[in-house]
Amino acid sequence: MSLRQRLVPYWLLGPGLLWLIIFFVVPMYFMGELALRTGNLTTGFTFNWEWSNFPDSLSGHTEQIWRSFYYAGTATLLALLIGYPLAYAIAFRAGRFKQLLLFAVIAPFFTTYLVRTIAWKTILSDSSPVVSVLQTLSILPPNGRLLATSTAVIAGLTYNFLPFMILPLYANLERLDLRLIEAAKDLYSSSTQAFLKVTLPLTMPGIVAGVLLTFIPAFGDYINAQILGGTQQAMVGNVIQSLYLVQRNYPEAAALSFLMMGLILAIVVIYIRFAGTGAFMGDEEEETA
Amino acid sequence: MTLAIASALALIVLAVGLAACGGTTGGGGNTGEIETAKAGPVEGKLTISNWPGYIAPGDHGTVAEFERKTGVNVSYIEDVNETESFFSKMQPLLEQGESGGRSLYVVADYMAKMQHDLGYLQNIKKSDIPTVFENLLPSLRSPDFDPNREFSVPWQSGMTGIWVDTSKAPEIHSINDLFDSKYAGKITMLGELRETVPLVMLAEGIDPAKASTDQWLHAIERIKDAASSGQIRHFTGNEYTEDLNAGNIVAAIGWSGDSSLIENENAEWRMPTQGCTMWSEDMVIPVGAPNTAAALEWMNFVYQPKIAADITDYVQYISPVSGVQELLKERGSELANSQIVFPTEQFTRKCTGQNSPPDLEPVNEAWQEVITG
Repeated sequence: MSLRQRLVPYWLLGPGLLWLIIFFVVPMYFMGELALRTGNLTTGFTFNWEWSNFPDSLSGHTEQIWRSFYYAGTATLLALLIGYPLAYAIAFRAGRFKQLLLFAVIAPFFTTYLVRTIAWKTILSDSSPVVSVLQTLSILPPNGRLLATSTAVIAGLTYNFLPFMILPLYANLERLDLRLIEAAKDLYSSSTQAFLKVTLPLTMPGIVAGVLLTFIPAFGDYINAQILGGTQQAMVGNVIQSLYLVQRNYPEAAALSFLMMGLILAIVVIYIRFAGTGAFMGDEEEETA
Repeated sequence: MTLAIASALALIVLAVGLAACGGTTGGGGNTGEIETAKAGPVEGKLTISNWPGYIAPGDHGTVAEFERKTGVNVSYIEDVNETESFFSKMQPLLEQGESGGRSLYVVADYMAKMQHDLGYLQNIKKSDIPTVFENLLPSLRSPDFDPNREFSVPWQSGMTGIWVDTSKAPEIHSINDLFDSKYAGKITMLGELRETVPLVMLAEGIDPAKASTDQWLHAIERIKDAASSGQIRHFTGNEYTEDLNAGNIVAAIGWSGDSSLIENENAEWRMPTQGCTMWSEDMVIPVGAPNTAAALEWMNFVYQPKIAADITDYVQYISPVSGVQELLKERGSELANSQIVFPTEQFTRKCTGQNSPPDLEPVNEAWQEVITG
């Protein structure tokens, strides 16, 4: 191989790498530097290795961080429970409606995220049919409400991030070799056993990808809490927004963002280890299968 | 291989070098003197930022008339949604001496002062805006924050009080009523520190203009308890009007002129028993503003009583221009007799200005903890 040929992959990597450097590495550097400054707008922010910004940014905000875990976790679980059967149905049972159904999954993206969330405000408003039906069924107390509650925020998160769960699941299920299920049944496994022993393990990569793609943006989201939540539903994203856009405490906002990034990274690493790197990265099982 | 690594490193160095030109430091870093907005021939393009629903719209609206009269091409953007976050959005630009193409925008008095102190605004020469000083109400000519009107020209004023859905809670008159548990979860308050907290202090018989840090914190504590008990449904900006329209709430702390945004027929703005907060917003010219000549002409234009009356007719806030009430009376508009649009001194006698706490940082931090509860 000539030198030129050996360099080709690096040239191909070039544009992406440059993009990442300019729009990820460089901003990260500035954010990190900002997180170590002190001061305010009037005096200016001076760089002096202010490590205390990190613990300071956490103080008083632990509740919102736990809440973000709870909301994003519940939304991810719900998205998985709703998304898996749906992706399964589209992949195997939809027949000629397959394209149409897939389109329906993506269709909400034709409207912006903000507008869709505001629409939920109308759907869940106190005098909406949804609320009156739930009140009639005594699921909600007579003066109960959905809007400005945790339920509304979790519902909004689930709805907004559901396609991110369905699409990787579908892509994965669609490639599933149905002969393997037939083989399992030939070997006397019940439908449930075949699902648990064949389908589920083989679709683990899709599940892992779907969970990550749903959980990560849901954790950092602040729109749903702001629009559908009330006074006790703020997530960590709302705290960062307030620190940055209202209090203009840029160093603490940057420090908190960094901590959350680190936290998410740690969770992802542990999760991938637990779920199996193979399942996520190279799917050895599938190749041998 | 080493060549590839070397070129990657070179790229990093290049990118860091490029970006190093643009770090945000803050601190009123604009060098030296405050500039004065330049007058000159009125032409070209003018970009204005303002709050939504704050001008007469349409083909015969204020912007269209101005374009017709001057030939200036106006880009009128309604991108101010909250005083604080609009400033935060602008701050990194202003720090670089840029305005993002805006020649003029509208901000609250205290914010105009803060931005001027930071060196983010240009001064305005009185002789460049003769129509403004011909028609500006005497009471607005020398406010404390800008005694000689050097950098701010009033846009509209208003009052913050209580919007009540009279079909559901006709007996709400005082801010204290909003804390009554029979309205639990049916009340919203504004998320802005200087709007909501002074109203609560007034209701407790404290003068917000003289309140100590402890008194501010005490009022915030009261609001915090109401938020965590579920009494307060939400802290809002303009969106309380949607909750009133949808029937989600029975009362809200809100702005006197918002009836153009409220479709609920039973909604009524009320002066709180213990008084309201009064605020004023100003047109300002930021540093780096292009075409300041057209911006100055815009100020002159909207201070013509006829144009000001058109604006009042639509937005229903308090106009800073004299003669508007008479014009509306001639036109037979009901607004001419409205205490909300033309409040008398008797009507607003218990009201207070838009006060800032004596020590902003701890109070604002406590407040933001309530907002992001």
